[in-house]
Amino acid sequence: MHIHFNHVLPTPLSSTLQTENSLWNQSLILEKGKKVVVEAPSGRGKSTLVHLLFGVRKDYSGEICVDGQNLSTFSHRTWSEYRNNKVSIVFQDLQLFPQLTVLENLQIKNDLTSHLTKAELIAFIEQVGLFKKINEKCCNLSIGQQQRVAILRSICQPFSWLLLDEPFSHLDANNAQICMDILNQACEQQEAGWILTALGTHVNSAYDQLILI
Amino acid sequence: MLRKILLRNQSFIQLVIALFGAFLGVVFLLVSVHYFIKVTEFGEGSEMLGPNTLVIQKKVSTTTTLQLASTSFSAHEIHAIKNKSFIADVQPVLSNNFGVEFATSDPMLPYFRSDVFIQSIDTRFLDVKSKSWKWDKNSDFVPIILPRDFMVMLNTFMSSSGIPQISDELAKDVLFSLQLSNDRINQKFNAKIIGFTNEVSSILVPKSFMQFGKNTFGTKSQEKITQLMISGKEKEFGLLEKFLQKQHYESKNAQLVTGRLKSIVSTLLLVVACISFLTLLFSSFVLVQYIQLLISKNSYEIKTLLRLGYATHTLSNVFIYYFVLLFGSLCLVGILFFVLIKSFLDEKLQSTGIYIDFNHSIYSWATLGVSFVLFYLVVFISSKRNILNEF
Repeated sequence: MHIHFNHVLPTPLSSTLQTENSLWNQSLILEKGKKVVVEAPSGRGKSTLVHLLFGVRKDYSGEICVDGQNLSTFSHRTWSEYRNNKVSIVFQDLQLFPQLTVLENLQIKNDLTSHLTKAELIAFIEQVGLFKKINEKCCNLSIGQQQRVAILRSICQPFSWLLLDEPFSHLDANNAQICMDILNQACEQQEAGWILTALGTHVNSAYDQLILI
Repeated sequence: MLRKILLRNQSFIQLVIALFGAFLGVVFLLVSVHYFIKVTEFGEGSEMLGPNTLVIQKKVSTTTTLQLASTSFSAHEIHAIKNKSFIADVQPVLSNNFGVEFATSDPMLPYFRSDVFIQSIDTRFLDVKSKSWKWDKNSDFVPIILPRDFMVMLNTFMSSSGIPQISDELAKDVLFSLQLSNDRINQKFNAKIIGFTNEVSSILVPKSFMQFGKNTFGTKSQEKITQLMISGKEKEFGLLEKFLQKQHYESKNAQLVTGRLKSIVSTLLLVVACISFLTLLFSSFVLVQYIQLLISKNSYEIKTLLRLGYATHTLSNVFIYYFVLLFGSLCLVGILFFVLIKSFLDEKLQSTGIYIDFNHSIYSWATLGVSFVLFYLVVFISSKRNILNEF
């Protein structure tokens, strides 16, 4: 699944002068299965890029096409199918359900597609060191623990692209590496690519493309 | 799990108040619609004359006896009555201007004869199938509607003759005869009773028979219209009664009293039904507000679920299912209360001698059905719209 940016410019950034290297207001194609790092200082639109691709924000000019289909023409139903089967995400603000347990937070996503078995879910929870917290409500977890839950939730569905919005910002190096390995493994299994936003160029994984905004 | 996420943050006091209002609305709507229908139907079928129908005539006074004033209705007067807003129909009552003798004509019954008056009114004033209410020269018998007073008189005669009295049903199977005559000729016809009336004091015959009698036996003098058949509009009997008093017209009281009572009671019940419907509407409005508030309180959860890939209809169905289930349960409890109230009221009415039809009215169930469908639609639209707003 290719992603084609055709002179996309988010409305809040329209008054800002865009450089030649910038992703905005350029024509750019992200090829299927590629690992892309988007690097920029704070406030340059990294999260905006992820939100535009996921349909959370629609305030932009230009066109974003996925396999030739313009995102702006998507109906509610198409968005729902797209978010279930094509693109998965780790939000920067996590967007978990605080009143649900760790397992329930994964199940609420997994129930939609039945992508993983319960045993697989538990195995992943164990892998990220949260087995003891499996029945703990997310509101009682540390932000780092919550971030690991959000990362696991993103692989509870089939996808062609995985959008990672500063996914390891609250993790120590060891946990970040474990999570990155899990994500890379899930992408390889599905021949999917990822787009990872980061404040710096140091990323704990090999990547194919670096975009500086 | 969706319900666990979406139905939290509820303000139960507000929900209970709204549901209690809806419950009261449902119960009173059922009761009022049921009794409104039953009161409207009250008395139908027992009387051959159509509902709200009565025979009027001018009051006989000294001046009319001395022929200073007329007791007959002029064409102008009939036209004026017809134009009143509360009168649905007016027709003159045709009376015989020839001799009529009514007699038993069945070997099982003792011979009884009496000179009688016969009258004819238009079929549309009668609660009778037009097939049985017709006569021509080839007919085997003349269908007649007998005044109930006459039947009482007949039974008194039977009793004094040492013969068992005859019931209404039996009387309909017995053959009678009508003999029409004038000074020169007479002719006998078989007659059969097809029904009874409390409102007219003479024997009613089909118009064609009356016309035949007038043509064959009638006098040539100009015919006067002394009685009119009128039908008042439903629930406007009060106006009709006032009009009759003002014009010095008179009628048998029974129909007027029943009509007046029916008007008062049905108007009261209609008011109660309207208030109940408004209560139900108001409660539904509060419930819709409650749904909006609930959706707004769970805005984060709804947005997140939509971002996880849940379809809008999956989420709105959670709210629709929950509120329709609540309203459905409320309706069931409402029906239970309605049955209890109905049983209590029916018993009370029966003990005071009012025998209305105690069966359940299909209209009250239909009203509840319509209310349920309306509620479903309101919840459906409100949930869908509010969820879409969160997308």
